[in-house]
Amino acid sequence: MEIIGYIILGLIAGGLAATLGIGGGIVFVPVLVSVFAFSQHDAQGTSLAIIVPTTAVATYAHARAGRIDWRLVATLGLGGVIGAVAGARTALVLEEDVLRRLFAILLIVVATRMAFKARSLYAVRTESQSGSDSGAVDRG
Amino acid sequence: MEKAYRRGSITAVRYGTPMEVPWFKAAIIGVGAGFVSGLLGVGGGILIVPALVLWLRMDPKLSAATSVATITVTAAAALITFGADDAVDWAAAGLVFIGSATGAVVGARYLDRIPDWLLAGVFSLVLTVGAFRMWL
Repeated sequence: MEIIGYIILGLIAGGLAATLGIGGGIVFVPVLVSVFAFSQHDAQGTSLAIIVPTTAVATYAHARAGRIDWRLVATLGLGGVIGAVAGARTALVLEEDVLRRLFAILLIVVATRMAFKARSLYAVRTESQSGSDSGAVDRG
Repeated sequence: MEKAYRRGSITAVRYGTPMEVPWFKAAIIGVGAGFVSGLLGVGGGILIVPALVLWLRMDPKLSAATSVATITVTAAAALITFGADDAVDWAAAGLVFIGSATGAVVGARYLDRIPDWLLAGVFSLVLTVGAFRMWL
């Protein structure tokens, strides 16, 4: 039963990622914690284990299409590795409820961005339906 | 390699040649995004993409590609750190990954029937509820 649950979680997250352009972590971590009873730490570690192969496949596709500048990625990645190890070490020494609240803050940030995105997508839709005038007023 | 540069990738960055990659800014973005990724177990694209577009003035499409490649590296580093602490359920991760790879193709087709503004709006609400639940 759990096996099916994990696959369903993947299906939903993958679909949302493709449609809304969000990463999976923002979905994986809360669901693993609240539905699958993971500890916050285990949920985050497992989330990363899903993210790595997902982005590796996407990177391969982008690289083949010539969209990746490896020198820029190397620089970002070098800083990224330092930051990631520091961040992960910090997470591992933090208490579970502190870490969960930090994650809640991230969720609010993403929720806010997503609300603005919904608003602008809606405005584009209205614009294409009722002419550019009302859309311009709307956006102002 | 050399040729690939000239053909496309670097021209996306406002700077003309590979030598003009803004190392310092890129490293700062990397450290910041990496820290959030390691701390919260997410990719960090929420930081990388806006930073590349707004600060390095990169084309949004190419910044998405750059972000994905960077996340592979930083998330792997964070994953190793979590793995060393035995905080990874590898079997669960494998299953979710299988679903996710399928969902990106199949799920997107079904979700396409829902207007994207509605999808984004509902998702925003769900995240808000999730945030309150996690805070309490």
